[in-house]
Amino acid sequence: MRSVFIKQLHEAMRRDDKVFLLIGDTGFHLVEPLFEEFPDRTLNVGVAEQNLIGISAGLCNAGFKPVCYAISNFLVQRCFEQIRNDLCLHNYPVVLAGTSAGFDNGALWATHYIVDDIGCLKPLPKMKIYSPSSIEAMHAVCRELFAFSGPAYMRIAKSKFSEGKDASNINRFVLETPESEILVVAHGKMVKNAIDAAALAKNFSVFAMDRIKPVDTGVLDGFAGKYKKIVVVEDNFKSGLYNSICQFLAERNAPNPKIYFIGPAEEYEKHTGDPKYLEEKYGLAPAQINAFIKKISAAE
Amino acid sequence: MSNFNTEIRKTILRIIHESHAAHTGTSLSAVEILIAVFKSMDLEKIKKHNNARDRIILSKGHGTAALYAVMYHFGLLTEDEINTYFKNGTVLAGHTSHHVPFVEHSTGALGHGLPVALGIALGLRSLKLGGRSFVVTGDGELHEGSNWEAIMLAGHMKMQNLCLLVDKNGLSQVGRVDECCTVDPLKEKFESFNFAAYEVDGHDDNKIQEIIQKTENSEKPVAIVCHTVKGKGISFMEHNNEWHYMGPQGEDYEKVVEELENASS
Repeated sequence: MRSVFIKQLHEAMRRDDKVFLLIGDTGFHLVEPLFEEFPDRTLNVGVAEQNLIGISAGLCNAGFKPVCYAISNFLVQRCFEQIRNDLCLHNYPVVLAGTSAGFDNGALWATHYIVDDIGCLKPLPKMKIYSPSSIEAMHAVCRELFAFSGPAYMRIAKSKFSEGKDASNINRFVLETPESEILVVAHGKMVKNAIDAAALAKNFSVFAMDRIKPVDTGVLDGFAGKYKKIVVVEDNFKSGLYNSICQFLAERNAPNPKIYFIGPAEEYEKHTGDPKYLEEKYGLAPAQINAFIKKISAAE
Repeated sequence: MSNFNTEIRKTILRIIHESHAAHTGTSLSAVEILIAVFKSMDLEKIKKHNNARDRIILSKGHGTAALYAVMYHFGLLTEDEINTYFKNGTVLAGHTSHHVPFVEHSTGALGHGLPVALGIALGLRSLKLGGRSFVVTGDGELHEGSNWEAIMLAGHMKMQNLCLLVDKNGLSQVGRVDECCTVDPLKEKFESFNFAAYEVDGHDDNKIQEIIQKTENSEKPVAIVCHTVKGKGISFMEHNNEWHYMGPQGEDYEKVVEELENASS
């Protein structure tokens, strides 16, 4: 996914001489061709994320469209106030591209896995949030990102998942099971887990919410009228997509489906492990998703 | 102190008084720094929003009454606009806002202006445009680590079009900066980060302007340590942190008016 993103960025920089790549000492063996081709529009600011975001705001002032590429944790959380004041307050067209998502860096532990970025950024006015679910979705997300319409954050999962067909739109069904009463809504890497789970049971549909914010209210309204149960599967605390859907349903003046959450508990647990270990710990493995859905299917 | 500078102080104190606003002392220490920068910039380019214009960011955004007063006296704000300062429905809030015409960047949380000014300098350099990027910070503000991230990189990149002016009034909100966590020796610190660094009487706008002009073709980023007095120009406010936040009302304001009238006569 990272190389797909960098390739898309490379093309965007060729098309538009205002696109400027800033990296926070991230992207070894990936960004070098861009630095070589565009020495005046690339900069490694070093291990200094507050400076990274401030510089991107200054570049916007001078007419550039910056892309900040760094490890998600540090890109979002080290410099939260810079994102709030220097980017969102000014509605600057900065793309924040965060490497790694969810439990990608599980074995590196809590400072490096990220399950609280979406909840951090969601309240910020103007901030768009993306979590592409596949290589094809990454292409579609990049088309939106490189329109540079305001501040945007994308978490890039460590995944090579390909749907095998073009994703012309983001926020779309990746698996539709006729007559199903249950819908799984997921984003990022968890879409693949949900598809694998569905292959075991074939009794629910899967929707990929590649763009989490702005909330896709039209789509959610359609779900609420159609499905009896919605299961949100995400490698993020409840503060992420689940929270957005709950809010939407709570504010909707009509009968609602039941809503369920599969994802990590709100904790930084002292025991850790690889992504598979942590996904299993929090019920995110395909077989566990399948078992959960089997259980709620049986319940009224 | 010249009559022009006194008139700016009168405006600062009047708008703070009329709107029951705050941050008097920090506004008064920055007056000559801001005058020197505005005298050095090509205001016509600023008015036309030419991308090669010089920029100024007041990173110590709580001193915005001084910025707005200086802008008013340089013809960048109207009387009607400045008279709304700190009042309901205004865009001239108690911290610097980019919604005010000709303001480059909103500030208020400290430690933000310098990285942004560095980004502007980088952008201008990348576009091969000649404008300079000025930024004014406080000295207490230099406790914020983000400043040093920017200083380190600016020095490394020899960002010659960046000019940092430190309003070194020696006081932060609670007390003396050097009692809390000294920033000294400041000039030497900047030099060690590959800046061309200068020290100057921060209430001598001619001297500050001289440094700005003579460093126009500097090969390094420029840092000007401006030694100032918090509350400068009003006897009972000088060096007195009671006036960090407070604005003058009642008899205090009458004394302010009297002192400034005497200063301009």
